[in-house]
Amino acid sequence: MIVTFPHMGTLAIVLKALFGNLGCQVLVPPPTTKHTMELGMRFSPETVCLPFKLMLGNFIEALEQGADTIVTCGGVGPCRLGYYSVIQQQILEQLGYRSTILTIEPSLVDVYKQLKTIAPRAGWGQIYNAFRVAGAKMNLLDDVGRAVNSLRAHEAVPGSVNSLWEQAVLAIDLAETCQDLGDLRQELLQKLEAVKTSTAKEPLRVAIVGEIYVMLEPFVNQNLERCLGNMGVEVCKTMFLSDYVKGHVLRRQKYVEIYRRLEALANPYLSHYVGGHGQKSIAYTLLKKQQGYDGIIQVYPFTCMPEVVAKNILPKVSQDIGMPVLTLAYDEQTGEAGIRTRLEAFIDLLQYRQAKAYETGKLNCEQCRLQKGY
Amino acid sequence: MSLRVGLPQGLLYFQYGTVIERFLSELGAEVVLSGETSRSTLDCGSALDEMCLASKIFFGHACSLRDKVDYLFLPRLVSIRPGQYTCPQIIGMPDVLKHNGGKLPPIIDVNIDMRQKPRQLYQAVVAVGQLLGRGVAASLYAWLRAWQCRERLRPGGQVMDGRPRLAVIGRPYIIYDRQGSLDTLGKLDRLGLAVVTPEMVDIGEINRGAAKLGKKLFWSNSYVIAGAAMALMESSCPVQGIIFITCFACGPDALVGELIRQHAWRRNIPYMQLSLDEHTAEAGMVTRLEAFADMLTRRLHV
Repeated sequence: MIVTFPHMGTLAIVLKALFGNLGCQVLVPPPTTKHTMELGMRFSPETVCLPFKLMLGNFIEALEQGADTIVTCGGVGPCRLGYYSVIQQQILEQLGYRSTILTIEPSLVDVYKQLKTIAPRAGWGQIYNAFRVAGAKMNLLDDVGRAVNSLRAHEAVPGSVNSLWEQAVLAIDLAETCQDLGDLRQELLQKLEAVKTSTAKEPLRVAIVGEIYVMLEPFVNQNLERCLGNMGVEVCKTMFLSDYVKGHVLRRQKYVEIYRRLEALANPYLSHYVGGHGQKSIAYTLLKKQQGYDGIIQVYPFTCMPEVVAKNILPKVSQDIGMPVLTLAYDEQTGEAGIRTRLEAFIDLLQYRQAKAYETGKLNCEQCRLQKGY
Repeated sequence: MSLRVGLPQGLLYFQYGTVIERFLSELGAEVVLSGETSRSTLDCGSALDEMCLASKIFFGHACSLRDKVDYLFLPRLVSIRPGQYTCPQIIGMPDVLKHNGGKLPPIIDVNIDMRQKPRQLYQAVVAVGQLLGRGVAASLYAWLRAWQCRERLRPGGQVMDGRPRLAVIGRPYIIYDRQGSLDTLGKLDRLGLAVVTPEMVDIGEINRGAAKLGKKLFWSNSYVIAGAAMALMESSCPVQGIIFITCFACGPDALVGELIRQHAWRRNIPYMQLSLDEHTAEAGMVTRLEAFADMLTRRLHV
């Protein structure tokens, strides 16, 4: 049995560690490229969302290289993700690939059953250890990713943060035990501290909201956070893999509370769960305004149902609270210049607003002084 | 004077419209309908971005009722069957309408969520009754009466009269909307085909058909149309062709259409997919329908 899985940002590193430690032979699909996209597009229904097509492309490429078991996720709706695997399996069968798709449904019984299929001989100790190492890798990757996204705007030497990130990803991929990862965490934190920064001016702060796959997969979002970072913008992604796992899969108390608060926040605008992250996109827009961010970028794959609902409400939110929102829908047309132009225009707008706010702030201060009779 | 309650004729109106109309009038409200879809409904609905055609039509209907009513009846239909959702766009519709529709009359937006607790429907019924000034018993009785009238209105079964049988698979709010679907059903009838829609298939057969799909579909409308398509393909006298009508940007249909296409392909049943949007031109539609009808008749004679 050779196990493979779809790509989504750094997910492959985590899953490789997980299945490797469970004693499976793992084949990581080749990195997502234009070729992957073309493969996926050719065999997918036309108007299905982009993650479906890319995942299918990943599967085909991995099966070509010799994988025979695909592990993917299921769901209970209303987002389409939950029904991906059924259709993908049929398409793969029709194309003549002999493979089994193991769909992990969100129920404990199902997870246990699939676990026994994937690793029939693994004991509880081994399973526990596999999950612990994978979890540690995930947390470390996301913690470094978070730091990198805000640090990029401050770097004195252009590109220094990016190369640090690439080194970190490699090192985390190679680490084998929790002990190694603990040491690595210290080392990486020191390196992050040591990055030379320039303290020229206060950078803009932008939060990215929207659909998780597009947010996490740099191939799809065309390195959005890197692009923004290079423009001197501090980026906050509102959803990382670890957030998703801890919040939606493990339902940690801390996250459940945060999500409850977000739901209450979004309530005046979108008062019911619409699947995916639709409600959170609106909630985070409101929350980030309170936290003093300058702008919001909403990203999602074209025709994503939950995000389209949010998108149609966001203009009103934006108007009500005075928060600029840029909406980017990604599909297989990867025109880089188009996205870049829109980003630049958006950042220009934010800079203009920042400058104006500064001016009026100064003015207000002067008025205060005058009034107080200085 | 009784309250005027507006009922937009879009989306699930095509399934539950008569029941809701009856229910509201039993409660003593004057029901104002928005009328059939027209060109101006579509134009108004185009204010929404990237939503599916049916949502846009619904939006147009709701906006056209703006100045005519005291209340808009717009329950949030989260789920109408245990374990299933309607669809994200239908769930979010009341909010989308509120924040895009300008100055609207108050909206009756009780949640109807039978996903986990089917009894929740009765809570919604009582809530609506209370809004219209009725007690619990009166509301429930009104609902019961309304529901009974639905049973009498169910469409008849399938006709077998020697004409080629064609399944038109699609959501009721798309295929029965004459303007939205450009009267595809009427056109096919005039082309000499016996049309079968999912509404004509018995619910038992739908359930059996859907059971063959592997994982259970979690969108109620998709479940019905996919189950009906399976039932029609697998019956002792299968349909001669399938036309799948969807609207652009309908999420579930992108997957369900593919599912039906693959099953039709395996059984060697001709399959055509028509995607509608607000720009659909009639001539193109007619050409494709005629070509499909010609092909079906020729297959019968070969």
